[in-house]
Amino acid sequence: MSATPSALRSGRMSAGQAAAAAGGGVVLTGVAFAVTPLQGRAGFLVLGYVAGVAAYLLAAARLESRRSVVDRLAAVLMVTTVGVCLLALGSVLLYTVARGVKAMDWYFFTHSMNGVGPRDDAGGAYHSIIGTLQQVFLAAVIAVPSGLLVAIYLTEYGRGGLASLVRTVIDVMVGIPSIVAGLFIYAFWVLGLGRGFSGFAAALALSILMLPIVVRSAEEMIRLVPAELREASFALGIPRWRTILRVVLPTASAGITTGVMLAVARVTGETAPLLLTAFGFDSIKNDPFSGPQSSLPLFVFSQASSAFTTAVDRAWAGALTLIAVVLLLTVAARLVTRRNRLV
Amino acid sequence: MFRYVTTGVAGTVVVVLLAMTLFLLARAWPAVRIAGVGFLTEREWFPDATPARFGIAALLWGTLLSSTLALAVAVPVAIGSALYVTEYARPAVGRWIGYLVDVLAAVPSVVYGLWGLLFLVPRLVPVQRFLADHFAFIPLFRNPDGIYGKSVFAAAVVLALMILPIIAAVSREVFRQVPRELREAALALGATRWEVVRTSVLPPSRSGVVGAIILGLGRALGETIAVALVLASTFDIHLRILEPGGNTIAANIATKFGEAGDVGRSALIASGLVLFAITLAATVAARGVIRRTGVVGRP
Amino acid sequence: MPTPPAPWPSPGGCVGRPFTCRSPAVHGPYDLPRYVPGMRSRLAAALVLAAVAVAGCGTDDNSSRLKAGRPPAAPVAGANDRATLSGAGATFPATLVQEWIKHYGGLAPRVTINYQPIGSGAGIQQLTSKTVDFAGSDVPLKASEVEATGGAGAVVQVPWTAGGVAVEYNLPGIDSLRLTPQTLAAIFAGRVTKWNDPAIKAENPNASLPGSGIQVVHRSDGSGTTQVFTDYLKAVAPDIWTFPSTKDWPASTPGTGAKGSDGVTAAVKQSAGAIGYAEPSYPKQAGLPIATIRNQAGRFVAPEATAVSAALAAATVKADGSLALNFTAPSPEAYPISSASYLMFYRAASDAARDTALRHFAAWALTEGQALAEGLDYAPLPEPVQMAALAAVKL
Repeated sequence: MSATPSALRSGRMSAGQAAAAAGGGVVLTGVAFAVTPLQGRAGFLVLGYVAGVAAYLLAAARLESRRSVVDRLAAVLMVTTVGVCLLALGSVLLYTVARGVKAMDWYFFTHSMNGVGPRDDAGGAYHSIIGTLQQVFLAAVIAVPSGLLVAIYLTEYGRGGLASLVRTVIDVMVGIPSIVAGLFIYAFWVLGLGRGFSGFAAALALSILMLPIVVRSAEEMIRLVPAELREASFALGIPRWRTILRVVLPTASAGITTGVMLAVARVTGETAPLLLTAFGFDSIKNDPFSGPQSSLPLFVFSQASSAFTTAVDRAWAGALTLIAVVLLLTVAARLVTRRNRLV
Repeated sequence: MFRYVTTGVAGTVVVVLLAMTLFLLARAWPAVRIAGVGFLTEREWFPDATPARFGIAALLWGTLLSSTLALAVAVPVAIGSALYVTEYARPAVGRWIGYLVDVLAAVPSVVYGLWGLLFLVPRLVPVQRFLADHFAFIPLFRNPDGIYGKSVFAAAVVLALMILPIIAAVSREVFRQVPRELREAALALGATRWEVVRTSVLPPSRSGVVGAIILGLGRALGETIAVALVLASTFDIHLRILEPGGNTIAANIATKFGEAGDVGRSALIASGLVLFAITLAATVAARGVIRRTGVVGRP
Repeated sequence: MPTPPAPWPSPGGCVGRPFTCRSPAVHGPYDLPRYVPGMRSRLAAALVLAAVAVAGCGTDDNSSRLKAGRPPAAPVAGANDRATLSGAGATFPATLVQEWIKHYGGLAPRVTINYQPIGSGAGIQQLTSKTVDFAGSDVPLKASEVEATGGAGAVVQVPWTAGGVAVEYNLPGIDSLRLTPQTLAAIFAGRVTKWNDPAIKAENPNASLPGSGIQVVHRSDGSGTTQVFTDYLKAVAPDIWTFPSTKDWPASTPGTGAKGSDGVTAAVKQSAGAIGYAEPSYPKQAGLPIATIRNQAGRFVAPEATAVSAALAAATVKADGSLALNFTAPSPEAYPISSASYLMFYRAASDAARDTALRHFAAWALTEGQALAEGLDYAPLPEPVQMAALAAVKL
């Protein structure tokens, strides 16, 4: 029997040695920062991390085989990428929360921007919240029933040419940039038909964006309904349409609800189409069918580009409200269903 | 009867989308006719002047440059985190990290724009200065005027954060679908964890990951608001991403729609259609690449 | 793992349905998601509660937090009007217009007025498309715009305030900067690119100007402020400013664009070494210094209300309602880059209630409203201009 190659049999660095090596690297960086002109907390963190990792890998290189070192390097890189992801997420959320709570109070949620000058520390987002709720609700009213019907068509009745055409069209619609949807409603409804800016125009643009998401998710959920349920229903003599309405849809309803809520969450955060259709309005507008209306993303956008600190604070509060609404919807969507799997 | 209702609605959706495309094409035609070939080569944007002089060259450049840079930043991070979640982490930890990365996807784009403008841009200035001072031999990082602020670099970082969760989620799905047997075979042969990944997980997932990347690209191309807040609106074509400037098709539409006259509106619609065509090409490519995955396991 | 349905497609190992299927070999026995018991009713309850909470809760009345302004003098003619007016246009007068809206709201409680500052070009465009009731613009309608709105006289345009275009800059440690018209033109045309250029140093010998580059910030949207500024540059330095003077900044000059006077101010505030132009209330609120410009008489003047009034003192009103601007006004107190800002609306309005309310508001702005101008760094209109404007807007 030939001698076992050394690559298959090598030492293993212990956890204590690893920690010592990494710690040594960080200490070295600290010394470097104290002695040389290098400075800055961010620089120290980055260089300290790199030095610690380098020391850890060097120690491994002395104690273990090459393959093992490569493995450790890969693991470190992956952990770093996860760290970067979480750091970015934490930065966005925590910074928004920190800046947003400063301007958020009961006043902010119950007053509009009516009559507030750019320098005044007054006004709130009530009109925008109402606008967002109305526009998203109208968009859902348009998109959800039609989306469900299209999904039912694709899964139950569709066959051949028209079905694949519809599927292609839905796939194309998923990729529409939101600004193009807004541009279409602006050119067609606002200007072409002369209806002017309104919350309803915004709802139309949002429904163009919502429809394909609803169709996709509803289709997936309806497909998951076991064939046995349908067949049992047919065996009892129930016509197809009743089967769909009374057996298939209720079974898939949890998943469809989740899908609709996720689509609503996604569409609530859209700003670009609202710029061109709802246009923005500073006072409370309870009628979404006539005249321009505000909405939360528009509120954040218009307050954000200002140089006045009062406006920027309001923008952060609006942004925090928007994130809270979207996250609540997303989390609620996932809590609504129960999965019988481990993952 | 119900069948006719559903067929009717499905048919209506198709008709509506076709009508929408035809309407936009009809509205875009006058501008393209006026500009001719210059629509693709002209940098400036004065469609309502006499003589009208406008084209999407600078806008197209800015769109493609910022999206490509965003991909360059986002793809390694996304794939790394997807691999970590599926291969290295304990299932519970992996699940939670997956949820958190998905939360990144739920954040609205206007919040990213606000955060990018007010938090990231001031903090990126020293980074940009460092890159321009020490790496100026790369044409990408040259900044002769020494002015730092909103730039294509900052916009690319913000875009990268926005497309990161999409690429990560789809990649996670792809890696999960690699059959357990392949991994177990590699482990049985004595491979380290990285070698398992390198030999059994990555090769069969290649086309799926490419599809994920193209999906992320599609999202980055269409992003309007975050870019409009973080870019400084110039109409130039150059590679100096650390300089203030840059403009994308979507941001240009958002900025100019209010003051556009007839030709201006037509030009904006034409540019929007070009953007739509590009994102459509990206989505179709993604579908084609993913479809070719077929049965997972065939590398 | 992303619970279905993710808003983006997930790839699959299933041929023919790449986005919608999951392979049971990987995911195990796959169960359809079912409702968590009780979740349906909890959801419904939460929705109802939220709807009730939001529905009756808000108000338009911000008076509790607004800084106490001038107490209103007398009840106005429009006190009983009932209308909703939406206007849009120049960012230049926006600060004052919003102050007017605040005060007028107390006097005419059932009139709701909104003004969206989106730029002069956009305001005129929206007025042409009839999507707004009135527009604000820093420049009068040009010939093509007059045609588009229905011919001469279809649109009433009156100056309703005046102000100077302030040149704001961001140079830490340098609180005052003097600029001659030629230097100003050279900076914005891209011929002077460094702060320590001899041309700037000549007028500012005591300031320690840095050697860094000048970042020019201009308007990216169609702006009346840009038109006034470029008209001025062309009038006083035609050999240096060889570009056209339009609402759109000529793209061949260096510099970056920002949307609106507030955008320009925010951009200048963010980058050290930047210079831009905007209405004075914006840099003052943002804490940015304003450069003094040399006028025809040789003095360096800041855009204060008195300086603007001095510049417009001898202005005459043309037949179409616009003011003839004189950038080389002889008065030693005059601020050279001064202009008026216009209110525009259709003479024959479709809705009588809105038309009445708008004219009452305009009349108030042209009379009592002028007293609010100075506090915000706008100039009250000279008397002959004010009289002509009142005659045009009265019912």
